[in-house]
Amino acid sequence: MPERAKMRKPDVKVVILGDMNVGKTSLLHRYTEKKFKDTVSTVGGAFFLKQWGPYNISIWDTAGREQFHGLGSMYCRGASAVILTYDVTNWQSLTELEDRFLSLTDTANADCIYAIVGNKADLTESSAQGPVPEDGQGEQESVGTELRPTGGGSSSGGGGGGGDALHQKQVNQDDALALYARVLRYKGLDGMACPPGESLCFETSAKTGYNVDVLFETIFDMVLPSILKKRREGEPSTVDLEDCRVPKSIKGGCCA
Amino acid sequence: MSVKAFELVPVVERELLTGDKARINIECLECCGKYLYVGTNDCFIHHFLLEEQTIAKGSVVYLSQKLQQKHLGLKKAVSELKAASALERLIVLCDATIYVHDMLSLEVVPSGSAKIKGVLSFCVNENPVSADPFCVELGVISSRRRAVQIYTVHEDRVQLVKELGTPQQPCALSLDGYFLCLALTSQYMILNYSTGASQDLFPYDSEERKPIIKRIGREEFLLAAPGGLGMFANAEGMSQRAPVNWSEDVVGAAVCFPYVVALDEGFVTVHSMLDQQLKQTLSFRDGHILQDFEGKLVLASTKAVYMLVPLPLERQIQDLLAGNRVDEALTLTEGARRNIPKDRFQILHKRILQQAGFIQFGQLQFLEAKEHFRKGQLDVRELISLYPLLLPASSSFARCHPPLHPFADLNQLTQGDQEKVQRCKRFLISYLHEERSSEGQNGVREEVDTALLKLYAEADHESLLDLLASDNACLLADSAPWLEKHHKYFALGLLYHYNGQDASAVQWWVRVVDGDLQDPTRSDLFEYVVDFLSFCPNLDLVWKHADWALKREQKIGAQIFTKRPVDGDQGSKMNPEDVVTYLQKHSHALVLYLEHLVLDQHVQKEKFHSQLALLYTERVLALLSQPSSPAQALSQARSKLQRLLKESTLYRVQMLLGKIDGVDQLLVEQATLRGRLGEHERALHILVHQLQDRSAAEDYCSWAATPQEPALGQQLFHLLLATYLDPDVPGGVDSVAAVDLLNRHGNMFDAVRVLGILPEGWSLQLLRPFLTAAVRKNAHEQRTAQVALGLARSENLQLLHDRLKTRGGPVVVSEKKGCQLCHNTFSEPDCVCLPGGVPVHTHCAAQRLRDSPTKRRLENGSDHT
Ligand SMILES: Nc1nc2c(ncn2[C@@H]2O[C@H](COP(=O)(O)OP(=O)(O)O)[C@@H](O)[C@H]2O)c(=O)[nH]1
Ligand SMILES: [Mg+2]
Repeated sequence: MPERAKMRKPDVKVVILGDMNVGKTSLLHRYTEKKFKDTVSTVGGAFFLKQWGPYNISIWDTAGREQFHGLGSMYCRGASAVILTYDVTNWQSLTELEDRFLSLTDTANADCIYAIVGNKADLTESSAQGPVPEDGQGEQESVGTELRPTGGGSSSGGGGGGGDALHQKQVNQDDALALYARVLRYKGLDGMACPPGESLCFETSAKTGYNVDVLFETIFDMVLPSILKKRREGEPSTVDLEDCRVPKSIKGGCCA
Repeated sequence: MSVKAFELVPVVERELLTGDKARINIECLECCGKYLYVGTNDCFIHHFLLEEQTIAKGSVVYLSQKLQQKHLGLKKAVSELKAASALERLIVLCDATIYVHDMLSLEVVPSGSAKIKGVLSFCVNENPVSADPFCVELGVISSRRRAVQIYTVHEDRVQLVKELGTPQQPCALSLDGYFLCLALTSQYMILNYSTGASQDLFPYDSEERKPIIKRIGREEFLLAAPGGLGMFANAEGMSQRAPVNWSEDVVGAAVCFPYVVALDEGFVTVHSMLDQQLKQTLSFRDGHILQDFEGKLVLASTKAVYMLVPLPLERQIQDLLAGNRVDEALTLTEGARRNIPKDRFQILHKRILQQAGFIQFGQLQFLEAKEHFRKGQLDVRELISLYPLLLPASSSFARCHPPLHPFADLNQLTQGDQEKVQRCKRFLISYLHEERSSEGQNGVREEVDTALLKLYAEADHESLLDLLASDNACLLADSAPWLEKHHKYFALGLLYHYNGQDASAVQWWVRVVDGDLQDPTRSDLFEYVVDFLSFCPNLDLVWKHADWALKREQKIGAQIFTKRPVDGDQGSKMNPEDVVTYLQKHSHALVLYLEHLVLDQHVQKEKFHSQLALLYTERVLALLSQPSSPAQALSQARSKLQRLLKESTLYRVQMLLGKIDGVDQLLVEQATLRGRLGEHERALHILVHQLQDRSAAEDYCSWAATPQEPALGQQLFHLLLATYLDPDVPGGVDSVAAVDLLNRHGNMFDAVRVLGILPEGWSLQLLRPFLTAAVRKNAHEQRTAQVALGLARSENLQLLHDRLKTRGGPVVVSEKKGCQLCHNTFSEPDCVCLPGGVPVHTHCAAQRLRDSPTKRRLENGSDHT
C-alpha cells in the first residue's frame, strides 16, 4: 500500500539524482515497498515521506530526462543528502553524474552528504542476484549497454567468474571511489573531514534488494546530526533569503 | 481511474455577453461575493449578480442577472480586473493603465491620481504584510522598464511603495507577503521586495510557452514548468510537493484543495496534490481563462462563463469507494483533515476507514481490513453480523445506516465458497481474540465472547477451553445449545460451571464419562470430575455424585474427600465423621480417607486411629489367612500397620491386642502393643527371645525412649542389656549382643551403672567405643555447664554494675518521653531501667528479657546440666 502523502513537515530532505533508467525510482520503490515492479519513466519528480523513528525524512525521486533537468536544483535546494545514482552496466551513466548532475547540487546544504550508488548490480554480480521476486523472468535488456571503450580503463570485470551470462560490468567500485573524491573536491570539501568514500559508495540492486536498505539506513544515520541541528535551531526550513546574497553568476567560473 | 471531482455548470451564456458578434471575446474575469465582472476586448466591463441554487440531488445551478455594462471609452481590451471589496473598488487594467473604478457604479473614481501608467500586468497581494484593511497592495510589472513595482491602492489614491529592477523582463507575477514570484524571459524567480534578496527557481522559456504563476497558499506557488509540469515552489525556493503532470499547453491553472485544475486547449484536467494522479478530465473547447476566486473555480471560453463546482467531498470519497479504490479514498479523506471541522472530520474519517475495511474484507485482504477496522474503531458487531448465527438472539444490534458495505452475509460475500468462508472465520477468530485483549469493547463483550465461543466450538479450536476457563461474557442461552450441537460437552460443563450451574455441569460430564455421550476433549474426564467435586462447595452435589464416583473407582473416587481443601469456608466443610460413616461400604476408599485424616492431617481422634489400625490389622490377617498371597503385599501391609502402631498413641491397644495376640507371625506388632501398655519387659522378651531379633529389640528401645521420657529410654536399654546378660535364659549370656549394644547406643546408658554390672573378665579393648563415648559425653557436659555458669556470673556482675550506676541520679519519666523499646509514651510512673539508665516500660523489659539470647542460652544450658 503506498504511503499516503501526509501533511507532516519533513525534518530533512534526501534527493536521488542520476540519468534516466539507472533505477532511481526502482530503488526508492524497493526501499519503501520492498518490491520491484515495473516503473514508468518519472515525470518531473516524486517524493516520499519516510517516518524514520521520530523523524520525517522526505526522499525526492527526480526525473533523469534532459527535459526536466532545470528542476533538479530546486529539488536539491536545502538537501541534506544527495544520492548520485548510476548503472553499473553503463559507463555513460557514471560520466553523466559528473557532467550533468553534480552542478545541480550547488543548492544543497553546505553539510550535505553525497553517496555514489551503482545500481543493477544483479546484472554483473552473482552475489547480488539474490532471490528474484515473483516476476521471475522480468529481466529487461539493460538499457544503453553500448559497450563503449572507456578511457577510465574499467572493463576488467572484478566480479567475474560468476558463471552465469552476466552483463558486462562497466563501472568498478574504484571508479565510484574516484568519482566520490572528485565530488568532494568540486564541493571544496576537506576529504579528511568527510565520511570516507568506502562508506558512501554502494553497489545495489533494486531488483533483488541487494544493499538497498543498507544504503538508505546508512544515509539516514549520517543525516541525523543535521536533523538534530535543525531541530535545535528551530530554524524554518533551510535557505534564508535574507542571508542568501551569494551572487549566482560565480557558478560559471568554477573550473572542475 | 477517474473521480468525479467537479461539475461544469454554465453561468453566463453567450447571449448575455457577446451575442453573435464573433469578434468580441472575453478577456478577463473577476468574481467577488455574488458579483461577477467580465472584461471584454471591446473595452466593456459587464457586471452580473450570481445566484446559486441547489436543485435535486445536490446539483448546483447559477442564475445570473446582468446588472450593468460599462464601456471604458477606449478602443483597447480590458485586460485585467481585480475587485477590492473592502474599498468597494474595482481595479482595472486597460491600455497599459490601471484605473480604479467604483465596484457598484463602475464609474472611475474621481481622484485624478488614482491611475498607474505603463503597466504590463499586475496582481493583488492576498497576504499583505501591512495590516491596513483599507488598502490593497498591488504588484505591478512595468511595461517600460525591466522592473516590478509595489503600489498600495487606497480609496482615493494610489501610492508607489517600491520599485525593483529585474535581470530580465518579467512577464507574470504573483505576490505573497514580501515575496514576489516572477516569470522572467528564461526563468522563474522569487524576489523579496523588502530586502531585495532573490532566489532563482528554475529555467523556463516564457517566450515559447505562457508562464503560469498561481499563489496557492501562504508563501507557496504553483508554476508551469517545462515538460508539462505543474511545479510547486515556496518562498524559499524549495518544492515541498511533487509536481503534477498536466499538459504542455496549459493556459490557466487553479487550486481547489486537494486538486490542481488546469486548462489547456481542449480539456480541463484535475490532478490530486495528494498523490499527483490525474483524477478527472473534462472536455472543454476554446478554453481561455481558469481562475479561482475565494474557493470558486471560474472557467471561461472566449464567449461564455462557467463555474467548476466541486462535488461534495463525501460524495467523491463514496464514488472512490464504490470503485473499490480504497487508497485513493483514504488519501482524499485524510487530505481533508485541515479543511473540515475536526469533529466532522473524525466522524467522516472513521466511517471511511470502516467502509475501506469492509471492501478489503470482501476481497479477503484481512491484514489491511483489520488495520482499517481498528483505526476506524469499528463496532465489532458490524463484522460479527456478517456471519450467520453468530450474534446472540438477544442482541439488540442493528447494522448502521447507511450500510457500511453491500454484503448481506458471509454466504453472499463468498458465494458459497467454503474455503473462503473458512478463511473469513479464521480472520474473525483472530480479530475477536485481539479485540478481547484490547480494552475498549465496552458493552459488546457478550456479543464478542459468544461469537468467539461459537467459532471456537465449530472449528474445534483449542482456545475454547481457555475462553471458558477465564473471565468471559458468553451468553448461556445462546452458547449452550451451540456447544451441545457441536458435541463440546466438556466445554458445555465449563460453561454451566461458569454460570453457577454446577449440577448441570456435572450431569453432562457424568454422561460423557459413562459413555452415553462422546466428547474426546479430555481423556481423564473422570479424574477431572472427581477433582471438580473435591473442590465443589455445593455439598449436596458432592454427596449426590460420590456414590457414582466410588462405584467407578474407589481409589480415585476417594479423592473427592481426601483432596478437599481443609481451609474451605464453613458451609463447604465436610464432617469427617459423616464421611467415615458414609464410606463404610467402600472399604478401600475408607482406608484412603482414614489415612488422609490420620497420617496426613494428623487428626487426633481415637476413633479414626483405632479404625485405621483395625483396618490395617484386618488386612494383614486376611493376607495371612491366604497362604497364596504375595509376600510383598504382606510386608507392605505389615509395615503400614507397624508404622501406625508406633506413631500413633491414640488407638485402642487392648482391642487390637485381642485381634493379634497369639498370632505367631505378628510378634513385632504384639511387642509394640505391649510397649504401649507399658509392659516393656514383656515386649523385650517377645523380641529377644521369641522373635530373636536383636535389632528389632534395639529399635524398640529407641522408639519407646521418647524425648518426653529420657529416663525411660535409659531404663529400657538397661533392661535390654540385662536380658542379654541374663545367664538364666536359654542360650545363656549373649556377650556379643551386649557388647554391640553398648558400643552402638553408648549414650543411652548410665556408664557407671553399666560398669557395675559388666562381667569382670571383659577386656577394655572390647568396650573401647562405649567407654570413649561415655568419657567424651561426660567431659562435654561438664564444660558446657562451666561455660553457662561463667556467662551467668558475668551477666550478674553487669547488672550489679548498672544498678550501682543508676542509683546515682533520678530516672526521669514523663509523658513526653518515649519508651526506648516500644516508643510509646509512659502513662504510669512504673518503669524499668535498662543498663545505662534508660527507662522503659515494665512489660517491654519483660518481653525483651524473654527474647534475649542470653536468656535462651541459659534455658538451654540448664537442660544440659
Ligand atoms: N536488472 C535490474 N534492472 C533494474 C534495476 N533497477 C531498475 N531496473 C530497471 O531499469 C529500468 C529503469 O528503472 P527506473 O527505476 O524507472 O529508473 P529511473 O529512470 O532512474 O527512475 C526499469 O526497466 C527497471 O526495471 C536493478 O537493480 N536491476
Ligand atoms: Mg524514475
